[in-house]
Amino acid sequence: MKRYKAYDPPEYVSWELDPEELERFDATLAADPARKAVIDALDNDALLGLYTALVRARLHDVHLKRWVKNGVITKAWLATGEEAVTVGSTLALDRRGPDGDVVGPMIRNASACLEMGIPLEQMFGAYLAVDTTPCRGRDIHIGDLAHGVIAPVSHVGSLMPVMVGCALGFKMKREPRVAMTWVGDGASKNGEFHEGANFAAALGLPVVTFIQNNQVALGTPTSQHNKGAFPAFADAYGMPGAVVDGNNVLDVYAASKLAVDRARAGDGPTLLVAETFRMGGHATHDEREARELFAPDVFAAWGKRDPVGVFEAWLMERGVPSSTLSTLEGEVDAALEAAAATALSGRASAQPDPGDLLEGIYA
Amino acid sequence: MTERTYIEAIRDALDYEMRRDDRVFLLGEDIGAYGGAFKLTAGMQDEFGTERVLDTPLSEAAIVGAAIGAAYMGMRPVAEMQFIDFITCCFQMITNFAAKSHWRWGAAVPIVIRGPAGGGVGGGPFHSQNVEAYFHHTPGLKIVMPATAADAKGLLIAAIRDPNPVLFLEHKFLYRHIKGEVPDGEHVVELGTAAVAREGTDLSVVTYGAMVHRACAVAQQLRDADGVSVEVIDLRTLKPVDYDTVYASVRKTNKVIVLHEDQLTGGIGGEIAARIGEDVFEWLDGPVVRMGAADTPVPYAHPLEHAFQPNEDRLREACRKLLAY
Ligand SMILES: Cc1ncc(C[n+]2csc(CCOP(=O)(O)OP(=O)(O)O)c2C)c(N)n1
Ligand SMILES: [Mg+2]
Repeated sequence: MKRYKAYDPPEYVSWELDPEELERFDATLAADPARKAVIDALDNDALLGLYTALVRARLHDVHLKRWVKNGVITKAWLATGEEAVTVGSTLALDRRGPDGDVVGPMIRNASACLEMGIPLEQMFGAYLAVDTTPCRGRDIHIGDLAHGVIAPVSHVGSLMPVMVGCALGFKMKREPRVAMTWVGDGASKNGEFHEGANFAAALGLPVVTFIQNNQVALGTPTSQHNKGAFPAFADAYGMPGAVVDGNNVLDVYAASKLAVDRARAGDGPTLLVAETFRMGGHATHDEREARELFAPDVFAAWGKRDPVGVFEAWLMERGVPSSTLSTLEGEVDAALEAAAATALSGRASAQPDPGDLLEGIYA
Repeated sequence: MTERTYIEAIRDALDYEMRRDDRVFLLGEDIGAYGGAFKLTAGMQDEFGTERVLDTPLSEAAIVGAAIGAAYMGMRPVAEMQFIDFITCCFQMITNFAAKSHWRWGAAVPIVIRGPAGGGVGGGPFHSQNVEAYFHHTPGLKIVMPATAADAKGLLIAAIRDPNPVLFLEHKFLYRHIKGEVPDGEHVVELGTAAVAREGTDLSVVTYGAMVHRACAVAQQLRDADGVSVEVIDLRTLKPVDYDTVYASVRKTNKVIVLHEDQLTGGIGGEIAARIGEDVFEWLDGPVVRMGAADTPVPYAHPLEHAFQPNEDRLREACRKLLAY
């Protein structure tokens, strides 16, 4: 895909395929027969759907970065380098809307909102506090039950018990639906996460949770705040668990699909661990400090594993013409461009009305 | 009508709503086969099953979080705090997740969080607290505390049907200490409506929960001893407060004491007193007086707890002083 000198991390700007990364990608897919069967069953459209969603996640963030650079907004929280975790898992869900599966995304999982169907202009509009977005400028977080998206609160970890509660509702109503959420390595140190995980396991609820280990929590590397092994959590709570390559969208998708199918069949929760890396800052404001948290070779190694670039190479190796991919990329970019423009005009025309401030405190 | 204790009236409300609406379910610690710490739900699991009378792990944040999520998905959860003191463990889920949800993104959270509050039973610092002030500050919550058996039923039914998160504070001293005629079947007491527990003309005591009974006892003593007439207002809903009823009483008696069992400083009486001072100042013939517990944790020893709580002697003297003003 096109690289953006002004917005991409340097490792992506100069990105070239390292053949070893393609080998690693394939080796990962071959390692687990159950996952391999899921991937083998994907047709071309499904593969291109995953690609499109990955590109959408990346370019959504590029658009936000452009806004930050141009002073439209002051900061943005991005998923650069981690897109495959959210995209691969969300696309394993039933995304039909209000009667489908539900997600509880943290702000780094914005692509879950996109892929669940929240319109792009609403995603951008939320940053701009446009009155016609689901949160009407009252909060930057976004959620819409019509699209199966639960709005998070800022407090990390708190989504976990709520998503478990959605799953409890499904179980009680005998609805074959699944709840999914993502918990950062940092958030996994929060009590609410652990209460929720145990609750889900104890009651056998249809919830699929990712620990998204991007190796850092704000300014503290995972190695410093965590001495245990994330994969051991599942066992500790008595539920199935597995590790996925968080930079391999197919591996994430396959493991998610197996977990989602199991949950939908009534076989309870799964705790998946996705190993990935935050290529940017905690948000756009601290990218310089973020570069100082790890040695340059760490960035270099993870940079080679760009989840978009390697998957693109994998698709081309399978015979997908690069023109097909660039056409899709162009379409995604144009849609984002149009949505950003719509959101910007909404900021001018649909400001929240201070007269409405007190409205809606109670339902 | 059936004569029921306060705790039986609560149980009656739960039974009634569970039968009426299959979205309603209970979740909490040890509420199933064990029947709950106060046996309030004894036998309910036999009738409604293990799903609708759901024993949970000892995880207050998960209990409330699960209630929120289930409510988003169309259920009507009633979550129990084994003692209301433990609600501090889910403060975050209540104040940030549940309370702000509708205002933030339009998603209603129709849950009830109920549990035994209050002292007078030697429960000590962690089994006797009154928690309403912690939550009164938070937009989006409703808070209810019944003083009578009939209200316990009618308010709980209203709370379960309300589309908002409602904290339903049950006074554990009242559980088996008071009885009253409780309407059978459908009985709804609208949230946000106070009641005149005892009519009077010379002074108003605005209170709620177990203190309603203490205030009525003092009103009778003052009638007998001094021939004065004290009105007692039972707020019933602590958020939003029915200020119309409070102000009507103040306009009638021109003197008011705001009384609660909770500690004085930062208690909800301060807010109520301030509003009376702002809104009906011209009707006052004396200072708005607050009375609450001492500013200490709830003590364990009986003599200490007696000294800690607003007792009849203190209230009677405060009334006399204000009446003489
Ligand atoms: C309960 C809570 N404490 C602190 C914060 C401030 N904060 C926001 S994100 C963050 C780090 C989160 O790290 P992690 O869970 O690993 O997620 P990541 O940002 O890496 O995706 C912190 C400390 C918060 N939002 N919530
Ligand atoms: Mg992290």
